[in-house]
Amino acid sequence: MSPELAAALAAEEAAIYAYGLIGVQLTAGRDRAEARGAEQAHRARRDLLVSRLAEANASTAPAPAGYELPFPVTDRPSALKLAVHVEDGVAQAWRATLPVTTGADRSTGLSALTDAAVRATRWRRVAGVTPLTMPFPGRPS
Amino acid sequence: MSTRSHPGRFPQPQTPRPGDAPTSRRLVLAAGAGAALALAAPAGCGLFDDEPEPLPEPDPLQPILDQALALAVAHERAAATEPSLAARLAPLARDHRAHAAELARLIGTVPGSAAPGASAGPVAQTPAELRRAEQAAARTATAAARTTQPDRAGLVGSIAACRAAHAEALR
Repeated sequence: MSPELAAALAAEEAAIYAYGLIGVQLTAGRDRAEARGAEQAHRARRDLLVSRLAEANASTAPAPAGYELPFPVTDRPSALKLAVHVEDGVAQAWRATLPVTTGADRSTGLSALTDAAVRATRWRRVAGVTPLTMPFPGRPS
Repeated sequence: MSTRSHPGRFPQPQTPRPGDAPTSRRLVLAAGAGAALALAAPAGCGLFDDEPEPLPEPDPLQPILDQALALAVAHERAAATEPSLAARLAPLARDHRAHAAELARLIGTVPGSAAPGASAGPVAQTPAELRRAEQAAARTATAAARTTQPDRAGLVGSIAACRAAHAEALR
């Protein structure tokens, strides 16, 4: 099993953790629903990866209890900024799996990369950030 | 006189028996294929006259490059027609131009040298039409990314994801 898939798992774990913090700062119903949907999507990918890695008898490191945030998350704007940051990170992790996968695993990576790019675009719109898109989602900057 | 009066022979060439038909169709098809090849050869020579290194077959990513140029043109035209959309569409056009440049570098062609899709067919104009065009192009790029070589998978995957994000941005 490739270290790239293990890194994708770590990114999904980090995203789940981050959405817990993001949700706390979002009070509007639409924002909260969006965050809840995103968190569920990341949990589904996490579960998929865990079973895929178990199939391959690859040991997975337990998710850390906490993460060092790139910036303090204290209000709605910083929460939305973290949501964009998290989705960009998830996109990067999944993009890195594409060259080392084929078939169903490649398709999973493509779906995950695309979903992260679409969610990042949605969060940028919610946050009023432009441009809404980046030319190469997941490409390391 | 005896042959002309034979009832079975004269009409035969005009109304061939059903059993004869496949043979003559095969002959027609074979002749057609030969003609097509004969037509293709000189056309191909003319087409590649100006190319320094003619490729026997187009790169599998050429359709993705053509789509990127066509989408860039579609966004630019829509923005020119409806200036109120320009701020929204210009970044999307830039993304497609960036895709075309990267793909051209990868394939080894000059970007903008080939854009058969850019002028062919109806051009998307409204945000809804552009959105549908982005969705279709995202599907094409995703399909290409599924089967492309490892060293191309990242770029094509990012292009597919970007097109899907464009569709979201056009909602």
